[in-house]
Amino acid sequence: MTTMMEHSASAPGHSAPKRALIERLNIFTAFGLGIIGAIVFWYLAKAILPANTDGSYIKSNRDQYVLFSMIGWLIGFMTGIGALIGPFRWLLGKDLNHDENMFYAGKDQGVKRYLRYTTDHKVVGIQYLVLTMIIFFVGGTLAMLIRTNLAHPGGGWLQPQTYNAIVGTHGIIMIVGTIIMVTGPFGNFIMPIMIGARDMAFPRLNALSFWLIVAAVPPILSSFFLGGISTGWVAYNPLASQAPPGMDGYIMFICIFALSTMVAGANITTTVIKMRAKGMTWNRTPIFIYGVVASVALALPAFPVFFLSQVMSGMDRATGSTFYNTTGGGSGWLYENLFWIMGHPEVYVILIPAVGALMEMAPVFTRRPLFSFNMAVMGIAGISGLSVLVWAHHMYTTGWAPLLSAPFMLTTELISIPTGLLFLVLIGTLWRGRLWMTMPAASIYALLWNFMIGGITGIYLSDVPVDGALHGSMYVTAHFHYTLMGTGLTGALAALVFWFPKMTGRMFDKTLSWVGFWFVQIGFNIAFGVMFFVGLAGQPRRVDAYAALFSRGNMITTGGAYLIMTGMLVMLYGVISSWRHGALAPMNPWFSKTLEWTVPNPVPLENFDVLPVVTSDAYGYGKAKS
Amino acid sequence: MNKRLLGALGTVIVGASVIAGIGTYVASAKNDSRVLVATAAGTMNTPQGNLPHYTLDMSAYPDSMAGTHGASGGPHPDWVTYGPVTNFQVPAHSVITVTIKQYDSGARITNDFFATIHGTIDGTALINGKSVTSVDPEAVGHTFTLRGLSDAKTQLFVSVPLPSVPDALVPDSGYTKTPNVVTFSFITGGAGDYVWNCEYPCGDGTIARFGGPMSTQGYMSGNFTVVNA
Amino acid sequence: MSDLDTQKRPSIFERKDVKQTVFFWVIFTAIIGYVGATAQARSMGASASETMSTTIHMIKVFTWVAAPIAGLVAAMAMTTLIGKIHFGDAPPEEADHQIRNSPRLTATWLVVSSVLCLFAVVWGTIVLQNDNAALLNPKAMNVNVTGQQWVWNFDYVDNGTVRSEDLYLPVNKPVVFHVTSRDVIHGFWIVQMGIKVDANPGYITTTSATPNKIGIYDLRCAELCGLYHAYMQKKVHVVSQSDYDAWIKSHGGQI
Repeated sequence: MTTMMEHSASAPGHSAPKRALIERLNIFTAFGLGIIGAIVFWYLAKAILPANTDGSYIKSNRDQYVLFSMIGWLIGFMTGIGALIGPFRWLLGKDLNHDENMFYAGKDQGVKRYLRYTTDHKVVGIQYLVLTMIIFFVGGTLAMLIRTNLAHPGGGWLQPQTYNAIVGTHGIIMIVGTIIMVTGPFGNFIMPIMIGARDMAFPRLNALSFWLIVAAVPPILSSFFLGGISTGWVAYNPLASQAPPGMDGYIMFICIFALSTMVAGANITTTVIKMRAKGMTWNRTPIFIYGVVASVALALPAFPVFFLSQVMSGMDRATGSTFYNTTGGGSGWLYENLFWIMGHPEVYVILIPAVGALMEMAPVFTRRPLFSFNMAVMGIAGISGLSVLVWAHHMYTTGWAPLLSAPFMLTTELISIPTGLLFLVLIGTLWRGRLWMTMPAASIYALLWNFMIGGITGIYLSDVPVDGALHGSMYVTAHFHYTLMGTGLTGALAALVFWFPKMTGRMFDKTLSWVGFWFVQIGFNIAFGVMFFVGLAGQPRRVDAYAALFSRGNMITTGGAYLIMTGMLVMLYGVISSWRHGALAPMNPWFSKTLEWTVPNPVPLENFDVLPVVTSDAYGYGKAKS
Repeated sequence: MNKRLLGALGTVIVGASVIAGIGTYVASAKNDSRVLVATAAGTMNTPQGNLPHYTLDMSAYPDSMAGTHGASGGPHPDWVTYGPVTNFQVPAHSVITVTIKQYDSGARITNDFFATIHGTIDGTALINGKSVTSVDPEAVGHTFTLRGLSDAKTQLFVSVPLPSVPDALVPDSGYTKTPNVVTFSFITGGAGDYVWNCEYPCGDGTIARFGGPMSTQGYMSGNFTVVNA
Repeated sequence: MSDLDTQKRPSIFERKDVKQTVFFWVIFTAIIGYVGATAQARSMGASASETMSTTIHMIKVFTWVAAPIAGLVAAMAMTTLIGKIHFGDAPPEEADHQIRNSPRLTATWLVVSSVLCLFAVVWGTIVLQNDNAALLNPKAMNVNVTGQQWVWNFDYVDNGTVRSEDLYLPVNKPVVFHVTSRDVIHGFWIVQMGIKVDANPGYITTTSATPNKIGIYDLRCAELCGLYHAYMQKKVHVVSQSDYDAWIKSHGGQI
């Protein structure tokens, strides 16, 4: 190592202009170039595109201008962050040399590397963690506005169009936040170390996938200033065709995010398949790895479809095509199908890695082996396989294909079998263990509780006749919050506390983790437990005003939501204060047997001096029978 | 220990204040937050007896240059709009007489149901002084349609079409000197929150022009609150 | 030592943790089943059609069927929680075994969950079949439903050209709704009759119900349709046949 550094120091200015360019690019130049790109593309579009008039089919050019300038933003931003340097250099036949690669990996740069296009998977993991927290803060703020408006039956605190925009943005931004909340921070930081690799298979793609999401956030936030997303997170057509230009922000957000997911999916899948340590057979691969791979592998077929659906939606808005417009031969059902072909695998993209993380922690905190590893793998595989065959259960009541209701009911209810296996694994691991009660351990119980409620209510909803009464009501909202938040977020918060020592070198404050845990869990169950009952009584989803008979339930839900906010803010403080001056963490504070705990704190640049050789799985806890 | 919990408490207070601040700002940023209170006008004999009588005056404009959105037309000067105010407050159990001056042109309405007058006393309205029960569906500019939530309270459904001003009479700039004047009366029930909007598709979009001004409160829609007198 | 312990263990049901679990299982199953079924059924309120009654019944039965599974998981979790819990920064002693699997338990779990799943699918399909058959009932009256931002229109096509914004139905008469939309997608939902189908522009979808109780019910839009989605609600008046005929006549239709 030292010789390498001397070498780089002894040959300065070897390719000085280009290196200087790499060094100069960071998040600020990215935002600067992004804004310039947006402005340039706006004027280009204005100059080139033929003007529509009030009498045209498309009344104005505004959607074309907005979409074009957002594309300009993306190009400018990615140029400004330095994402294009690698490909250009490669095309010119002058690929990056060793020193430049070391610079890209963020070597010896301190805090600055977090603001750059850095390829080290650990830096990307921390970047994802911070981005996830920012997204949750935005989405959570919107949730509080929603609940505050719904505290009073008549609504009226917010204008209806503002309320609809907030509901839509809350929905889509939280979906994205929960998609990246486990595979982003922990899949990037922890997963490569856990499998005994020095980095990801494609480190530059790793940085690319992160910075694409950063580039996607301004378009969705700009939608608030462009009239908002008036359609809910699903953005059903033809409603989306009459939405204000804020809808274009949604379209660009999804397109960029889908690109990021595809890149990350290819990268993580390749890493796990090709770069596991010697001796880490599939039987010895930790279950969290399965969770992460299943998640990103599901995203691989799902998100291109989402991308496509939004491209067509944008064309309907900007060019007057009629993919989703019945009067032009299109169909809203086409959109619904494309959307839910992404939309249902996507909930498992969120759920599986969170459950996988808790399954990883269960043996650590019960000091016994994971119960039935094979069933855990089969459960994850079964859910992943079936999840691409169930999308139309979101469409039972759309009238699209009544004859397909029964087959889709079958595939949907079949999912309860592999899901049951995950329960079996968790409860079997808790059984006859030595419970070490920490916040992550308690989260396993919280997950069992929340996922049980979310799962059973899912069975009612999967039944076509019952869905006829419950679809589109607050019951559905409560159901998916129980799965995505009660299960997914619970797992992600536990993963945060569990892996915090390895990621930051400091322990997460114990008291704060417990305070946050109880506020979130109690608030969550109050808020969404009661929401089931207003749904059963007939309150539709996404309404800013409701009949007086639902007022008590909504009042309680609002109170619960404030408790969740309190808990999440306590967790936020826990992250900040523990990161800055928490107790220094030992190398392996949980006495776990997975590989990430065998590297020192802070984790060195390429993780392992000598690549490890694996001879058993990571679950050999318990006293062996002699 | 105490320091940490104090820090957490501080974060909660700061975070909640930030969220409350954002909420207050978003809630106050309304396109039209003013409310027009109905003017008392004695009493009136109706099929339901002698009731207190109130009046409301409003207009429907082809753009936003008049009234509510300021002389510059606000953020969308080309949007059709009602004016001068789009939120109304009237007393419960009273007769409300609404007078609308309609300055906009129009065409065929998509649903004949809204070319007919619903929910007014006798199902009639005075259009330019003439009592009618419906108008020509080929020449409708806008409608004034009032509805509420389905709950135990008294229901209110009123819908009155506003006939279009012939294209020949619409000047290139400014408004026509001869707007159509539509007057109708209806009886309010108990107190409650209602909304009104226009049912003639006159906004943005392709499959049905219900976007833009049609989907933004403060233009072709607003609140209608019935309060106990 | 521990090995000896394991071998001496005479029967699984004599173990303390198993006894506790069985005890909790019975209690939790009863609580989950009873509270889940009654609370949900109570929230759904009065039923105005056979479809809704069946739905409420199904929710009750599904809850009772799921209760033993949920109860078992809860009971096992409870047992592990009232056992020895270790707090502190250092880990507790290792568990006294290295059991990694139990093929018999796994097989039982799989079989039971498959049977329950099959039950749900089969019953659901039978009920679905009945609902579909009702659409073809030749004696049913027909009502055309048209959604429009943000109102509903009802055309009583069997009674001439009557159009209304509130829905009027005679009691105990099967009715088939032909639902469509003039602009965006709406959701036609009669809450107390438990029926719902989307109104799509350019397509006609169908659903049916037989209202069986005179009263006033709620019709709500179940698909976000823009600014006043929340207000796209109407009353459904279920009246006697004679009242219905009178209402039709007063609106210019014929019987």
